[in-house]
Parts: sequence; structure tokens; C-alpha cells
Amino acid sequence: MPKITVDGQTIECKDKQMIIQACADAGIEVPHYCYHPGLSIVASCRICLAEVEGVPKLVPTCQTPVRDGMVVHLNSTKSIANQKQVMEYLLVNHPLDCPVCDQAGECNLQDYSYQFGRSESRFEEAKQKKPKKDVGLHVLLYNDRCIMCTRCVRFTREVAGTSELFVDGRGSKEEIEIFPGKPLNNKLSGNVVDLCPVGALLDKDFLFKQRVWFLKSAPSISPADAGGENIWVHHNEGVVYRLKPRYNEQLNKWWISDDTRYSHKVVNDPKRLYGAMRTQYGSQVESNYDDAIQQADTDLKRIHKENGDASLCAVLSPMMASEEAYLLGKYIRSIDPAALLVIGPVPMAAEDEVFRHYVSGQETFRIQAEKVPNKNGVTRVIDLLGGAKQTWDEFSQQHPTKLKAAWVVGGYLSHWTGLDAPAPLKKLYKVVQDILPSHLTHHADILLPSATWVEKDGSWENYQNMSQAFVAAFPPRDGAMREGNVYAKLLGRRTYDVAHVRQEMGEPFTSIKVPTISEADEPAMEFVEI
Amino acid sequence: MAFTEPVLTKRIPLDASQRKLIGYDDYVATGGYKSLKQALEMPPADIIKTVTDSGLRGRGGAGFSAGQKWSFIPKEKKGPHYLCVNADESEPGTFKDRYLIDHDPHLLLEGIAIACLATQCDIAYIFIRGEYHYSAKVLEHALKEAYAHGIFGGDGVLGSGKKVECYVHRGAGAYICGEETGLLEALEGKRGWPRNKPPFPAIAGAFARPTVINNVETLMCVPHILERGPAWFKTMGTPSSPGPKLFGMSGHVNNPGVYEDELGITLDYAINKLAGGMKGGAYKASVCGGISMGILGTNQLDIKLDFDDVRFRGGCLGLGTAGMIVMNEHTDMVKALRNCVRFYAHESCGQCTPCREGSNWMRKILDRILDGDGKAADLQMLMELEKTMGIMPGTTICGLADGTAWATRTFINKFYDEFALRCPEAPTKTIPLKVSSGRLNVLTPMGSNTR
Ligand SMILES: Cc1cc2nc3c(=O)[nH]c(=O)nc-3n(C[C@H](O)[C@H](O)[C@H](O)COP(=O)(O)O)c2cc1C
Ligand code: SF4
Ligand code: SF4
Ligand code: FES
Repeated sequence: MPKITVDGQTIECKDKQMIIQACADAGIEVPHYCYHPGLSIVASCRICLAEVEGVPKLVPTCQTPVRDGMVVHLNSTKSIANQKQVMEYLLVNHPLDCPVCDQAGECNLQDYSYQFGRSESRFEEAKQKKPKKDVGLHVLLYNDRCIMCTRCVRFTREVAGTSELFVDGRGSKEEIEIFPGKPLNNKLSGNVVDLCPVGALLDKDFLFKQRVWFLKSAPSISPADAGGENIWVHHNEGVVYRLKPRYNEQLNKWWISDDTRYSHKVVNDPKRLYGAMRTQYGSQVESNYDDAIQQADTDLKRIHKENGDASLCAVLSPMMASEEAYLLGKYIRSIDPAALLVIGPVPMAAEDEVFRHYVSGQETFRIQAEKVPNKNGVTRVIDLLGGAKQTWDEFSQQHPTKLKAAWVVGGYLSHWTGLDAPAPLKKLYKVVQDILPSHLTHHADILLPSATWVEKDGSWENYQNMSQAFVAAFPPRDGAMREGNVYAKLLGRRTYDVAHVRQEMGEPFTSIKVPTISEADEPAMEFVEI
Repeated sequence: MAFTEPVLTKRIPLDASQRKLIGYDDYVATGGYKSLKQALEMPPADIIKTVTDSGLRGRGGAGFSAGQKWSFIPKEKKGPHYLCVNADESEPGTFKDRYLIDHDPHLLLEGIAIACLATQCDIAYIFIRGEYHYSAKVLEHALKEAYAHGIFGGDGVLGSGKKVECYVHRGAGAYICGEETGLLEALEGKRGWPRNKPPFPAIAGAFARPTVINNVETLMCVPHILERGPAWFKTMGTPSSPGPKLFGMSGHVNNPGVYEDELGITLDYAINKLAGGMKGGAYKASVCGGISMGILGTNQLDIKLDFDDVRFRGGCLGLGTAGMIVMNEHTDMVKALRNCVRFYAHESCGQCTPCREGSNWMRKILDRILDGDGKAADLQMLMELEKTMGIMPGTTICGLADGTAWATRTFINKFYDEFALRCPEAPTKTIPLKVSSGRLNVLTPMGSNTR
């Protein structure tokens, strides 16, 4: 393994690694704009240049592979002079409208200005003005903030493979553009916003919603499909403002699909269910949450007593955390040892959506056709518990006359039951846990509003049987309760302790790694002493 | 050192009324395609050696040894090799390639065929500047003739089995497509954005295959070298810059045009003997080889026009294309530089931050100076910006930015008083040049940008 020296510090590198990446791996930051480990190298922004001993010119660290014994100076007079000059150049035509720019606070231009720039610009000519453009369903382009790193263009070619964005014009007149009538509407479009080092490409959904330094982050997993894309939930005071990709080498790399990106809509949906309900004399009335749980317990035990074994069933939603599914199964079997466990409906698209590099055709990203995050996990739990089980299709087609009551969990990101309550459930006594109102929740005997995935802890098993944990960003609002907490109460436990449940479930659940928030991941405002 | 008879222009009379397009038959009748037959008898390595021995240096600007460039092409063939002929001639002040193509296209085609044999190229592309409509037609016609006579295609060069295809590819009008890797990108159907090197074209050029890129004039020297030998070639020019050279004379001279002579003639000779002397006033300055090379000053008439003297004594980047724009005493140097910088700002491909932003910034400063609003700090600023760009300091991908730098540098250095006159000492607005961030302020080779 080659070793190089950077500003006096010796670091180990991988063979053929670029200097900038070797530095990044060793925790040394080299300023960069055009370089992105997930895209091809263009070495055009020129801010990453460094002095290398024995080379008369400055070399682009993003494009120069390491050589054993190389001595790199990021802090030499020449390197610094270049960093400052490039910073000054980039700001020549930049509008400096940070006060109204969404990127402010997480902008590489701001950060590097502070770290590597000069305190004032010597440019006193007129700035160039460039138009704002609506480039796609989710993305807005503020062209005059663009620093022409071409990351976005490379992304649409090399990852999305759809090549919507291109550079128009030449020299300082050039602009990022779309072709007429061909907007940036591919299902990975939101990634260009993350990639853009400045505030040129902005997410319409997040536009002017929140200053980023107020946001807190929680590591999480995409609920949109079985892909298990890793994400950050960015939230503040109980509101999720946006989801951002969290790097995962094996799964989503640096990217997420737009399905994932906008899946948080459900969390702050004004239609969400809050407040438990009970049916009295044929109509739903509001109830104290604990009383409703108690009532459900009493009713189910009574029904089992009256009708004997196999009269109860539980519909375990593939949106549930595996740990919750396990507890619900335990609970229902504790009353009725022959209770049927059904896995809820698994919505499927016709096929996976595959994205390919525009030239090589190599697969770069895949959006799973299975539109729920935890079919595999819930299936595993059902198998773990043993006993009677059915898929949703099997369940919908048969009408076992013995069945008298069902505990049904929803939690889907949008309505899942159609207009009518699902047929097999119609005649049964129903306890329903869900987040959005539907025919089913309307006809529930007991309705227990539940929590979305950002409001709870748990794990999901993706299409590759990889179990991944997600962490609660904040607790559910009053009137909603985590499913796990409900089951803990019913099972007479003090709390819903995920780690404890995983121990109980055994492998592979015990070895799930829980992601943590490192300081670097936390978008925090640095206070500058004046 | 002796230049006794025209070489590249031997079929092009000096008297314009006598000139005509040399067709295939005329070309062969005057000894054309003889060298090609000779080349077919030689192993490729021998052709390369002959060209290397002749000391032929590229006529496209950089002056790199042609034979050496060819020798970088891998000897083991693992797929196609390409030859790209650089006929994008867009350097201001340069019009020699057009002159050659318009009159004697078969000389180029013969040079191409020989170069392809030497470097085992299968396909040659002549990348011709978009605005050269007539020249492109001439080449197309000549190619048709050459194909009909078995030079290209068919059963290989003159039936030898070594097949070479040749195509004319027309540019779409951008200076940057003359830069060799910009040319390759454009040829591949992409934006003409120069590539980062390495990899060099000799290893991964057009379509990621080994590729030779040569200027039109360079290739046109090759048949003559083969025919008459390296020793003969070296009787012309200087030891380090042998051979004949076309000089494109324009500007304030009595007889502007393309003249052939040997390398190493003095600027004085070029102006007064070749181009008929100054017009409208005494000599003041001359662009020495396309504006990218910079400018030769008033007291530099004795500079020898070869690849070295212009550089070492002349203070320019090099001889470039030897396209001289001669200026008389009435020329406004500030305006002239503004024109040059406007050209670079307009032609910058826009990839590299220093070139894209810097050239336009410099243009704006010069515009302001010309508007009568110049100040002392402006010149300092221009000189500082100029130093931040180019492949020489390593801050850009291609040499276009070096052109911006060298034009600016030489204009201001050599005509400082003229610039200073427009930038009165009392500045209209003050810009402090020192860095006021409280960090260490050391003047560096790149100006005051230090922390
Ligand atoms: C900005 C720029 C423009 C150039 N334009 C031309 C051109 O129009 N014609 C040309 O022959 N070489 C041009 N060159 C030089 C080529 O990059 C290359 O050096 C040349 O074609 C090599 O041929 P030679 O070795 O035969 O000189 C240009 C270089 C730069 C940096
Ligand atoms: S829009 Fe953003 S990502 Fe795209 S080139 Fe401009 S700065 Fe780079
Ligand atoms: S130096 Fe200028 S012209 Fe050359 S690649 Fe960079 S931006 Fe383009
Ligand atoms: S990061 Fe290296 S040149 Fe842009």
C-alpha cells in the first residue's frame, strides 16, 4: 500500500487512489467542487490543486493518483494562493444572495469562502445575470448561483442515464439547461439537488421552508420500497422537512429515488389520524387511548373464549418494524395459540425500474418493484413464530367461517384498502392500527392511530435480506402511539425496548447494527466570532 | 542555412494571378505521390526515424518533434489507430493551412497517407474549421480523386494491402476545437471540451484509441523529407528549428499574405523583405505567432523567428503558428489587448474556473479602462489575474488560458507606459490590494492571495 505525506502527515492509501480521496479517507479535507466519488472525474473547478514535490506545476488532486512517497502540500503558499484565487473567481458572478438562498448554511461556496477564500472581492465590474429556470417536477434552477461544476450534468448521464441536463453556451455565458420539452423528470431527479455544491439546484418541496441550521437529523431507512435505501430524516420540532440520502456502499450509494425522497409527506399529512376511537352502539366515539387498548384486549379475549381456538387473526403489515410484528404475533398467540398470522398486502409495480450509465449501459441504480419496506422481515417473523399463516391473497380468497376477530395493522404511505374495507375483514370484529383514514379505519371497532416510521425505532429487512435499523427522529404526536408501545402494554411489559425484543427474537435480529449520528452528519450552524 | 527554393509552396506561384488548384494529375506530374511509394517500401520504424532525424517540429503551435510524437504510438496493434489532422486553424493572425489546402490539397493527403503508414493508423480524420467552406470542398474533391487512384480505401495504399481511410470532418466554429483534445471530443460528437491529460492521445485519443494529432503544415513537410532526406531538410532553418516555414503576414504591412521561407529569419526580414515593409507608419509591435504567443515589442525587430529565439530572447510563449500581425506606430495597444482578451473570453470553453471567470473579468477591466475609467490598481490586477491561469502554472486543463495570459503579460510588460497613461495614478475608486482577513500577507508568485 502506497504511503504519501500530506502537509507533514503520513497517510496510507489504496493503490491508484486519487490524492483527494486518500486525503478524505484519512480525514483531511481538500476543497473540491467538481469532484464527487460517485461521478466521473473532470477536474475542471481547479480548487483542489496542490503542490506536489518534484512537480513544477500545481496538480489537480482529484485527478492525480497517489504514488508511494509522494509529498503533497495543501498548505503551501502556491496551493493557498490558488485556493483563494479560485474562490474569488467563483464569486465574481455569484449573486451572493445567501439571505434568501435555501443552501445557505450547507453551501460549499460559503464554507470554503470562510475556510479557503479571501475576505473581500476585488471585482468591481458588473455581475452577469442569468435566469431562473423550472427544470423539472421537483427541481428549480437558479442559474446565476451555478458555479459550473457539472456534477448535475454528469449525474443525469452517468447515474440516471437520462441525460436531461446539459451545458449550454461557452465561457462565462454558459448555463445549465434542459432540452425544450424534455424536463428533468426522471425518478432520481432529486439527487441533483444534493449534488449541487451551491444553491443553484433547489428542491421545490423544500423551497423557503426552513433554514438548514434549524434542522436535526436522524438516520433512517426508506419506507418507499424494498430497496432499503439509507436516508437521513431532517426535521425540526416534530416536522420532517426533507429526506436526504445516507451513504451506503452496498445499497443506494450516494443516491435515493424520488419515491423515497418525498415519502415523508405522510408524516405531516393533515389528514393523519390522531385520537383513539371505540365503537359504541354502532358508531365510533372518541376514547382515552389506554381505555381503547384495554377494551380491545377484553373484547379479543371474550371472542376467543366464546369461539375457541383459531377464531382470531392478525394482519401484519409489511410496513411494520420486524420487532413490532413479532410482539403483535406474540400477543395474539398469547390469547389464541392457533391464531392466524396474515401478511398484509404487498403492492407491486410491474417491474423494477433500472437506471443505467448512458454509455456503458452498466446498471447504476434500481428501484424495487416491491413497494413496501419489510415484506421479508415480517415473513421471517411469521415463520419464527410458526403456526397458521397466510398471505394476503390467500386470506382474501378464503372465508374461514371460524374466524371472528382480526387485529389489522396498516401504516401504508397512502390509502391501501381501496374504497371498501377489505372483503375478508368485513364481518369480523376489528382492531385497526393505521396512520391515514380509510374505509377500514372508519369501520374499526377499535381504532388505534399509530406512528410513522420516523417516529419509532425498529428494523426492516430489504429485498436482499439485509436487516437495517432506523431510529426515531421524534415521538409521535399526542393521540398516536407507536405500535410497539401498544403491544408492550398488552403483554404487560414496561416499555417497548427494541434492543430487548431483538435479543428475544435471536439471530439475525440480534446482530442488526444501529446507526448513530456523528457530528459531521449533523447540519449545524457554526458560530463565527467577530 | 539556406533557403533557395520554395518547398511547401513549390506548386503555388507567388504571383496570385498564376495560382490554381492543383488536381491529382498536376500533382503527380510534378512529382507527387513519389514519396508515398517510397514510404511503402520502408518499415514504419524507418519512416519515423527519418522524420525524427529531420528535426521536424510541429507547426500547429507547440513545436513538438513530429517524429517523437509518432514514436509514442504503441507498436503492438490491439485495435484501430487514428490520425487526426488539425485543420481547425482559428488562431487569430493565422491563415497558412488554408492557403496550403486551397492550392495543393494532395500534398496534405500524401502526408496523411505516409503518417498513417508510419504509425499504423487505419483512419485519418481531417478536422477542418467550420468556416472554411471552400477549403472543405477542395479537400472533399481531392479525396475523391485520391480514392479513385487507390491512395485511400480499396486494396490499401496503392494496392499494398495496408488500408487507410480518410474523411473530412467539419468543425462547427469554435477556437477551442483546435486544441488537440478539444478536437477529439468534437470529433466524437461531444462538446469541444479539452480533456485532462494524462492519458495522452498517443495512448487514448479518439474513441479511446491511440491517436496522432498533427497540424496540416507539419504533415505537408513529410513527403518532402522522405523524398529529399533529413540532411537536406536541415540545410534550412536553425539547428534546433530546421526546415521551411510559412509566415502569415498581416496587419500594417504593404503586402499581406502567406510567405514561405526558412525558420530563423528575423522579424525585420519578414516585415521588410517578405511583406513589403510597413504601411501607414513606423513599426511598433508584432504578434509573433498567433496572439496566444504574445507580442514582440518595438525594439525586437532582430528576433529570429524560430521556436527558441522568440521564446528566450523575445519573451514570448513561442513561435506558435508564425502568424504575424504587424502593428504600426498608430496602433492603440490597450485596444489591441482588449480585442485579444475579448477573443479569449468569448472562446473559453468554460470548463476551468480561472479561464472562464478570469478572462471575462480581464475583459471587463480592459473595457472600463478604454471607457476612460482606468486606475492604477487595474494594471496590477490584470497582471495578477494573468498569472493565475494556464497549463504552465497548472491551473487549467488546456493551453487556451496560457494564450490569455501571455497576450496580456507581453502587451502590458512591453507597452507599460501606454497602459499606465490610461490608468492614472489617482484611482477613481480604491480597492485595497492587501488581504485584510488578518492572516499573513505575503506577496507570492501568484499575487497577494495568501493566508
Ligand atoms: C487553444 C488552442 C487552440 C489550438 N488551435 C490549433 C489549430 O487551430 N490548429 C492547429 O494545428 N493546432 C492548434 N493547437 C495546437 C494543438 O493543440 C496541437 O498542439 C497541434 O495540433 C499538434 O500538431 P503539431 O504537433 O503538428 O503542431 C491549438 C492549441 C490550443 C491550446
Ligand atoms: S447547477 Fe449546481 S451541480 Fe449543476 S453545474 Fe451548477 S453548481 Fe454544479
Ligand atoms: S483553459 Fe479555458 S479553454 Fe481550456 S479547458 Fe480550461 S476553460 Fe476550457
Ligand atoms: S475537485 Fe479537483 S478540479 Fe474540481
